[in-house]
Amino acid sequence: MRRPFIILAVMLFAALFAGIAIDYTERQSLRPLAANYVKRVPQELGAPNIITGILLTYRGFDTLGEVAVLFMVAAGVGLVLGERSLPRRDDVPAEPEEIIPSTELVQNGAAVLFPLISIFAAYIIMNGHLSAGGGFQGGAIIASGVMLLLLARPEYRIDHGFLGTTESLAGVLFVLAGIAGLIFAGGFLDSRMLPLGQFGAFFSAGAIPIISVLLGVKVGCELSVIIDRFRG
Amino acid sequence: MAELIGSILILLGAIFLFSAGLGLLRMPDVFTRLQAGTKASTLGNMLVLSGVAFYHPGWSLKLLIVIYFVLLTNPISSHALARAAHAIGVPMTRATVTDALRDARETDRSAR
Amino acid sequence: MSHLPISNIVLATGFILVLIGLWGMLTHRNILRIIIGFSLIDTGIHIVIVSIGYVTNGTAPIIDSALRPSEAASRVVDPIPSALVVTAIVIGLSVTAVMLAYAIRLYESKKTLSIDAFMESKW
Repeated sequence: MRRPFIILAVMLFAALFAGIAIDYTERQSLRPLAANYVKRVPQELGAPNIITGILLTYRGFDTLGEVAVLFMVAAGVGLVLGERSLPRRDDVPAEPEEIIPSTELVQNGAAVLFPLISIFAAYIIMNGHLSAGGGFQGGAIIASGVMLLLLARPEYRIDHGFLGTTESLAGVLFVLAGIAGLIFAGGFLDSRMLPLGQFGAFFSAGAIPIISVLLGVKVGCELSVIIDRFRG
Repeated sequence: MAELIGSILILLGAIFLFSAGLGLLRMPDVFTRLQAGTKASTLGNMLVLSGVAFYHPGWSLKLLIVIYFVLLTNPISSHALARAAHAIGVPMTRATVTDALRDARETDRSAR
Repeated sequence: MSHLPISNIVLATGFILVLIGLWGMLTHRNILRIIIGFSLIDTGIHIVIVSIGYVTNGTAPIIDSALRPSEAASRVVDPIPSALVVTAIVIGLSVTAVMLAYAIRLYESKKTLSIDAFMESKW
């Protein structure tokens, strides 16, 4: 009985998408706004990676909104999954949870892989302005490393207090960096408050490396806390 | 000539990856699906990457490191998934006759 | 190699993924499969947005030894959709995490994962 309506809805959406896809032709040159950004980022910001320059300077408010959304989601998941079991009756004794130990294969694999993953995550965060990478990507890689550690040692309890404090501190420093950009340079989160340096060097492009590091730390802590909440 | 070998290797890798997807659809229960998916997709991955190494000989060292990484992580993750599935009691298909892990756990528990 | 219409193919793939996800979300009764359908719709839309920014024979918008700043404006794909998609991927992940948390709580309250057991809010 529900089936015909589902088919009708999917067909209507398919007709809409087909209308968009048929009218689409590949562009031969950049749009004016994109050409403007591509010209301005190497000159004014000194960053070879144009996408990071756009995300952290010209569209800084979007990044601030995303940081706020991530914080709210971490708080929301903590609220929903906080106390895991329904209230237990007092006369029924609670059975001790049997933690199944991990095997030697997973432990050895994690011992080899976790340093590699950490170095790779640090490399991606710090190279956000030079090549493909950035704060969010590096933070997600750190969180996957933490998940590997949780798989290898099931009895390891993550210190939620420390991670919460670190994440809040990174968020506050991020907003302060934005306000410092407002005071010392052009606008909110403007990265020209630090000297631009030589194009393509490691310490260059103003405050973009510092902001990338703050973003990477914050995202890494948040995703680790979310993953740990799911463990129960 | 090198491009021909590279193309053949990439084609073989694509065939293995397709058979991994086919195995995921057709296998009866979780454990057989894990086995089909992991083995075939790891081999397909390695073949595709070595085929690319024939196209760009300058990238061989980087591709070798990537192959090593894939070979290290795929079996570990499927091993952890299979043990977790066994621990929560996912039912096995009726064709299975022996369960070595359950026997080992019982002898362990009775010996303790 | 002849001129393949790459961005048209990628655009069609993205739209097909959205339709598959929509079909899965409407048809299945298991909560986890509805969440997977949602995630498919997410991924499909990201692919569509990225494919709109493609410029014919363009390369990645990163300036290094292969791309001078002076010729960057003529050979580079559009960086703005890629920047938007970086934000969108993180937000999609967050929404999936919240949905999974709710799925765990719903399972704990009624011991079943079928959405037919939760009909209290339906009029």
